[in-house]
Amino acid sequence: MAVATLPHSGAHEEVDQLYKETRDLRLQGFLLFLISDCVLFSSFIFAYFYMRNSGQGWPPPGIHRLDVAFAAVNSVILFGSGATMHYALENWKHGNFNRYAMFMIATIVLGLGFLGGQAYEYTNLIVKEHVTWAGSGIFGASFFTLTGMHGFHVSVGVIYLFILLLQSVHGVYTKEKYFGLTAGTLYWHFVDVIWVALFSIFYLV
Amino acid sequence: MSTAAVSHGGGIADHIHPEPQGFIRRYVFSIDHKIIGIQYLITGFVFLVLAGLLAEVIRTQLLHANGGFVSADTYNEVYSVHGSAMVWLVIIPLITGGFGNVIMPLQIGARDVAFPWLNMLSFWIFPVAGLMLFSSFLMGAPVAGWTEYPPMSLQAGAGTSMWAAAIFLVGVSSTLTGINFVVTMFQMRAPGMTFTRMPLFCWAQLATAPLLMIATTALAAALAALFMERQFGVPFYDPTKGGSPIMWQHMFWFYSHPAVYIMILPAFGMISEIIPTFARKPIFGYKMIAFSSMAIALAGFMVWAHHMFTSGLAPYLQLPFMILTFTIAIPTGVKIFSWVATLWGGKIHFTTSMMFAVGFLALFTLGGITGIFLAAVPFDLHVHGTYFVVAHFHYVLVGGSLMGIFAGMYFYFPKMSGRLMSEKIGKWHFWLFFIGFNGTFLPQHWLGMLGMPRRVPTYDPQFTFWNQFSSISSYVMTFAILLFFINILVSLRNGKKAGPNPWGARTLEWQIPSPPHYYNFKHIPTVYGLPYDFSQPLPYKGLEEELTDTPVAVGAH
Ligand code: HEM
Ligand SMILES: [Cu+2]
Repeated sequence: MAVATLPHSGAHEEVDQLYKETRDLRLQGFLLFLISDCVLFSSFIFAYFYMRNSGQGWPPPGIHRLDVAFAAVNSVILFGSGATMHYALENWKHGNFNRYAMFMIATIVLGLGFLGGQAYEYTNLIVKEHVTWAGSGIFGASFFTLTGMHGFHVSVGVIYLFILLLQSVHGVYTKEKYFGLTAGTLYWHFVDVIWVALFSIFYLV
Repeated sequence: MSTAAVSHGGGIADHIHPEPQGFIRRYVFSIDHKIIGIQYLITGFVFLVLAGLLAEVIRTQLLHANGGFVSADTYNEVYSVHGSAMVWLVIIPLITGGFGNVIMPLQIGARDVAFPWLNMLSFWIFPVAGLMLFSSFLMGAPVAGWTEYPPMSLQAGAGTSMWAAAIFLVGVSSTLTGINFVVTMFQMRAPGMTFTRMPLFCWAQLATAPLLMIATTALAAALAALFMERQFGVPFYDPTKGGSPIMWQHMFWFYSHPAVYIMILPAFGMISEIIPTFARKPIFGYKMIAFSSMAIALAGFMVWAHHMFTSGLAPYLQLPFMILTFTIAIPTGVKIFSWVATLWGGKIHFTTSMMFAVGFLALFTLGGITGIFLAAVPFDLHVHGTYFVVAHFHYVLVGGSLMGIFAGMYFYFPKMSGRLMSEKIGKWHFWLFFIGFNGTFLPQHWLGMLGMPRRVPTYDPQFTFWNQFSSISSYVMTFAILLFFINILVSLRNGKKAGPNPWGARTLEWQIPSPPHYYNFKHIPTVYGLPYDFSQPLPYKGLEEELTDTPVAVGAH
């Protein structure tokens, strides 16, 4: 089948820009998706502050402050995974496949570690302190909803990174074309940034 | 458009994928933006009929002071689903997914939107969500109006959860459409089509898309919280558990005020195309119209609390919200003046489309003026929750958005189908609609000022005359809409062949056959200027072969 070629045809990049889903297109679309996801979190954060400020002090009577030390360690694990993710992508760009794979696996393991920590924290709250999602007023509602949403994002991220790893093993990406890895990295950093916000509002202030 | 440089005369090389074969791939699960747009239009019009029937139940109930047509409970369900369906299943899908999809990629000289598969997904979520919303009647439909304020929305039957889920899904669909449109307009404009040469309809869609992406997500959060509270008892809005019903109002209006601009900005865009075309004059103030769309979209995020003046909003917040709301009238006024100035001294062709456009100008202006009344706290305290508010938003939504949709249908129907709509039926449609509409909603202004509350199935007998007047006029309006559908069906079969450019319009979509080919353009044209200068030759190159029989070279990698 012939390709319609006209005078003054440009480079192949130009050609693709008109019709195919190129990297630029996807990158922009993905960023916009992250922005709207960010609005979702922001709305719940707004709700959290709204409820927090309308009550009688925070945490509400009968509820202990959250354990900052444990959460801080868990945060370090998550931020560490952000760093390993960064190096994974950098190594991919430089063609070091082995180091890329190593960093990817490290990211996945750290992500799972964070989830494990969160599960531990949830169990502690629910079993020892009897703080639950639906039964502890606005505290339980906002804490479990927001951190649960975040945890869901981390879980999706871990699965996504795993798929990316398999894909790259099977040669889906090349040194020049690796949009999936860029998206995975962006998503992972996004999840990190959200955690900075959640950590500050639940544990610090 | 980083690298796609302007090339001289020939356009740039590109390849065209072969058209899919088979009915299902072509018309049902199509990835062609034109088909998807038409799918949106058809689905939206079906929901218009359903929601319109609900409106007639309301008006029939209000024929008599003590009601009697339906029970009070049913009445609550009817107006709640009517409002929700009109906003989320009719106006928003028609005006963004419908016209946006059909027209925008053609106007910027693209072969499709940026993510055609995503576009198909956006569309198919919408009818599913619509069916869910209407199915809520089977389990006790929502009763707290389209705004679903708690605590009532927490106490009502299972249908309210269904409502929340349905609206959440339409929201997902809107968000995806918004993302798709922004990327399309940023990345896929034809060579030479700079932002300041982009047709005004596209500018309107560009202003709307961020609202779709950002405001809708805020609503999604509010809906999710409502759903969780109703289904799992997680306290967000119930004050007895520390939640706040006012918080719902903030989150809802933070979405729904921008949503009113989602519903009106694309109509502004179509009016900006129709008026210069039929006045045969360049649009007055192109840049001002484009920028005022952006200004309205931006400012729209800062005025939501004007819906909450009676909800115990702190007085020191009332004043800024009042002033900010007033300032929105400035960019809106800029548009109205620009359109009037375009008409001024033009050679006006009163086609049906143009009549709807001029009718839009009159009715939308009236609705905008009552909006300014309502934004004034001292006035709003008296009429909030009365029929005055109902009159206001029907002037902007029916007199504005729906009239814009009708104007757009008469204008673009030939492009979509290749046939003209009947002008004769069209004129009847216009006049009956215009008269019926004003008869229905004008009296509601004074009914509201006299104190008739909205959302109540009965009323004080002193209001009987104007209510009957309103109800009977609403039957006229419904009949006019029936004429519109008859016109579509008749014209599809017997309409005059339109040819590529029946109106002598100058934007890109009119320079190619009607309906356009699957691939839109044989060669992507190059753009050299604004489309609106009627005294100049067309500012495009590379369109020579579009209307000839030269076969297009189809290829794929
Ligand atoms: C000049 C611009 C406008 C101003 C200043 C304005 C102002 C207002 C105010 C203050 C209210 C609240 C009234 C109350 O509940 O007491 C209101 C309600 C409303 N407006 Fe507007 N408005 C404007 C334009 C529009 C447009 C363009 C639309 C839609 C296309 C719109 C749709 C609505 C709707 C749907 C409501 C009623 C919501 C409800 O309570 O159910 N408005 N407007
Ligand atoms: Cu508003």
